[in-house]
Amino acid sequence: MKFSLLLIGVFSLWCAHATILTEELWINNGVSNVVDSPEIPYTAFNSSDEFETLNAILTVNIGDTVVFTIHNNDSLTHGFNIKNITLPDGPYVIAPGGLITVEVPFENYGAYIYYDDYNYPHYKSLGAAGTIMVSNTEHPVFYWNIKEHDKEWNVSITEGDFMPIEDYSPLYFTINGLSNPETQDDPISKITGNVSDTLIVCIANTGQMTHSLHFHGYHATITYSSENPSHVDREKDTFPIQEMQTLLVYVVPDKTGKYPVHDHNLVATSGNGIYANGMFHIIDIVE
Amino acid sequence: MRVLFIFLVIFSAGNISFSQIDENWTLIARNSGTYVAIDGYEVRLMGFTAGIGAPVIAPGPTLRATTGDSVKLRLFNLSQGAPHTVHLHGLDVDQANDGVPHLSFEVEHDSSGYYYFKAPHPGTYLYHCHVISPVHVQGGMYGIIIIDAEDPTITWDGGYAFDKEYHWMTSEIDTIWHNDTIINHEHEMDGMPHNIPKYYEPQYFLVNGAMDFQHEEKEGINVHEGIETKILLRLISIGNFANKYTFPPELNATIISSDGRPLPTAEESDTLWIFPGERYQVLCNPLTEFIDSVQVDYHELTMGAAKGTQYINVVIEGVFDLPKVEQTSITFYPNPSQSYLQFSENEFTYTVFSISGALIQQGNSANGLVNTQHLSSGNYLIKIEHSVGANTFFFNKE
Repeated sequence: MKFSLLLIGVFSLWCAHATILTEELWINNGVSNVVDSPEIPYTAFNSSDEFETLNAILTVNIGDTVVFTIHNNDSLTHGFNIKNITLPDGPYVIAPGGLITVEVPFENYGAYIYYDDYNYPHYKSLGAAGTIMVSNTEHPVFYWNIKEHDKEWNVSITEGDFMPIEDYSPLYFTINGLSNPETQDDPISKITGNVSDTLIVCIANTGQMTHSLHFHGYHATITYSSENPSHVDREKDTFPIQEMQTLLVYVVPDKTGKYPVHDHNLVATSGNGIYANGMFHIIDIVE
Repeated sequence: MRVLFIFLVIFSAGNISFSQIDENWTLIARNSGTYVAIDGYEVRLMGFTAGIGAPVIAPGPTLRATTGDSVKLRLFNLSQGAPHTVHLHGLDVDQANDGVPHLSFEVEHDSSGYYYFKAPHPGTYLYHCHVISPVHVQGGMYGIIIIDAEDPTITWDGGYAFDKEYHWMTSEIDTIWHNDTIINHEHEMDGMPHNIPKYYEPQYFLVNGAMDFQHEEKEGINVHEGIETKILLRLISIGNFANKYTFPPELNATIISSDGRPLPTAEESDTLWIFPGERYQVLCNPLTEFIDSVQVDYHELTMGAAKGTQYINVVIEGVFDLPKVEQTSITFYPNPSQSYLQFSENEFTYTVFSISGALIQQGNSANGLVNTQHLSSGNYLIKIEHSVGANTFFFNKE
């Protein structure tokens, strides 16, 4: 009896903290103009009907439920899904000009990718994939949506003539849709803080290829890995992140300084053959 | 007087780490190296050497210190070309010593630069030039750093004991990235952006700078030990591809650490993926005699396709009463073989054995050739008896 009362108490406490949130997203299309203005056709989930290459970043507490309303602002049909979460009544297809509503409870700590699963992986590879972080942390969080881009591949998709996956040959490599040095001006991804802070980096690979991220200056501790749970608690200075994988890593700087973080597939530190206009960032730690 | 004394004590303590240098390392940056590939193609290399007269090969010299040592590294640039740096990958040194050109310093031709750091956790690390790193690393400017525990027979304080160690640093070569205009590229100090090749499609797949039969010519690649020898494998990836290692089950491989830190839970596994820039330590404890190979596949990262494979011979002593696989000046290619083996020795008699020791084929050769067309895919031993003596080699038939 006492135990049941305790359980009810805990459940009530949990209910008191669980919140129902609403999130409205628009599927927009536009172009990406990284490095040398290649005008890559692009699609993204944005928080308004105005296109930007950065997909909306969502943060929720463990136990929260999110009611998504997704508008299709494009002339193509699109889909909606969340990796590693089973959506009720899916799959969701959104006609041009249409909208859907989906209610999703987030019960577990981690990072999740929401994405366009219509004509998968082609439409997703146009850029329509974003991050949901589920955590109760109060530490600073930096968000990295990493991706590579093949202009010909994207053009072929928008023209309805899908290239075979074997021909995918990306030349641009981005963090939140930006390449170095533009990444340095992105407050969402630029890791800054003080010595001894706990800094969290939420990384989602929404591209098609594996990237191998190397931290200068500090080891990072993996606290969540969507595809390799056995890697949790490993301290690493370099770690792979596979296609559609998410990672949460903690960095606790022990010294000041500016230190690069970059893909150690070094070809990916370039953009269309220009070094270092690729997947390259700099951590900035002060006293 | 008392204030002066306290000041002197504090000043001395603050400088103790670098007024007492425990290890002095020297690296000389050159760009006059050549790698002769298995088909005879000559590839231009950049690289690091330990001495002025030393040949430029990749990887450069292995650098070694003990945890807690104060280390001074001198980089002397004699490349006649671009500036260079040394990035101490994974050692978590401070910004000034991190070897990233625009955040620390770079060393021009005919100049020296110095790096100072305390040797961190025992483990396996690497170094490489960070100037236009896709080009200079592909060029060959990299090597291994090993930080020993205070007791060098264990992996780290409270870790695993081991008897022998092998270091396998994997990389690839795309010859387009090695032509003269790229190796001798123009460069302004802090000069970025810089044009580099757009595509990377390597033709050669290396372990410690050697491929196929070249493993035989280098010490420290092929494994030849007795049973119950605890073997520590230090695996380092510096290429742009991922490596999938497949260990023979008899090696009893356990993955114990990565990137200079113990794994929270060691994993017994016959396979291990290593991605660019990662290092792993694997402890092997073979309890039976056998002959086999470690397979290393090289996977490109866009679609994950395997583009190359290397086999590292493993002989655990005494198996099947066969002769030892010896170090010898006799070489052969290709390995893996599709239809033939070509030996550097012309006249000999030969015997091919299966891995289980069964006699498969015998014959004579007058031109160094052995026909392998009819062999099934798999691993074999070939014993050749020639005018000077006899040697046994391991090979794989595709």
